[in-house]
Amino acid sequence: MSDEMKEEIKKLREEIANLKEQLMDVTEQKKSRGIYIDIGNNVRHYVEDVMESVTEGIHGELERCILIGPKGMRIVRRGEPQREEEHVVEANFSKVSEVMSALGQEYRLKILGELIRGGKYINELQEKLSGITASTLSSHLKVLEEAGLVVQEKVRGRYLITMPGRVAYKMALRITGFVERGSQE
Amino acid sequence: MMLQQYRLDNTALKATDALKLLQSERAIIEADGNTLAVPILLDNQRKGYIFHGHAKLLLDTIVETKEGAMGNSVEREINEPFLMLGDTEEILQHLGAPNKEDLTAMGYKDEQEFMAKAEDLLHKFGRRGKIWGHDCCSGNYGIIFAFPNETGKLDILIADCSRLVYKAMDRVFIASKSKVILKTPNEMILSSNQKSLMIRNRHL
Repeated sequence: MSDEMKEEIKKLREEIANLKEQLMDVTEQKKSRGIYIDIGNNVRHYVEDVMESVTEGIHGELERCILIGPKGMRIVRRGEPQREEEHVVEANFSKVSEVMSALGQEYRLKILGELIRGGKYINELQEKLSGITASTLSSHLKVLEEAGLVVQEKVRGRYLITMPGRVAYKMALRITGFVERGSQE
Repeated sequence: MMLQQYRLDNTALKATDALKLLQSERAIIEADGNTLAVPILLDNQRKGYIFHGHAKLLLDTIVETKEGAMGNSVEREINEPFLMLGDTEEILQHLGAPNKEDLTAMGYKDEQEFMAKAEDLLHKFGRRGKIWGHDCCSGNYGIIFAFPNETGKLDILIADCSRLVYKAMDRVFIASKSKVILKTPNEMILSSNQKSLMIRNRHL
């Protein structure tokens, strides 16, 4: 064995001894009371972990077939039939009635009409809907919230129209349009 | 790898008046007066507290899109001990010494019992892994909260001036100035600069 190699082995042994010493220090520290937290990683890593889990979920879903047709884009799981059987869903008439009755009031439709343009605070809504008292407006908003058509941000206090609320509002306008056209014919 | 020792102070404290622990665009955390507290120390410096009292969390986990809003607000009473890391100096001004009645009001027979429960929570938080850093809870780096949920695990809320991350049993919510992500068991929605992507699937 050459002197050069012997020197190299000696250095490696020293390095291993150093590492062992460091490991002993950490173990000793852990034995004493307290919580040890790796401060080499900061909160950014945690956020990145959460983001990663979310994006993994998205990737997982997008890995499945994406079908683009006349009705828009549809994502289907790999191995599943491209067109699922239409399920006949028993209508929950009590819920249907709740949603429809939430729509069946002029002020409530006006509220949805205002919220479809963007979230608003109650005083902004009151300004837009002239002639309505704050208490009446609150009770209408409560009905819309209970039906799931509107949601209130508890911190900021703004009211927002939900996705179902937007669909319901557009559907109500459309049905009315059909009825009006039908009565004219 | 650098390791730092977090430990609890030896003395329990109580809030002399109501505490506003967090107020941001999307979240508010308040604790009533008489809430018990014990400082969390790192190298003998206060880095946070464990509180036990009547506290309230309000959090808007709502995503606004052109197609309407998704999600709802979290409105939760916190009657269990919870942990906070960050912004300790302002809070310290509203803390004083508790008396026996303050401890019994929260169900403790003495200070030691409260300290033991606080220690349990700190250990549980420490066991979450190597995700916590010193930098995250000093200066302007933000605040971390950990609240035990119904399953005994911890819901985590991290907030700084512009961002918020909330990870709970039933949802993950991430908000920054321009992007918002909400993931629930049934759907995931991402909204960024007026564009949004929603995935609703039985696998989510």
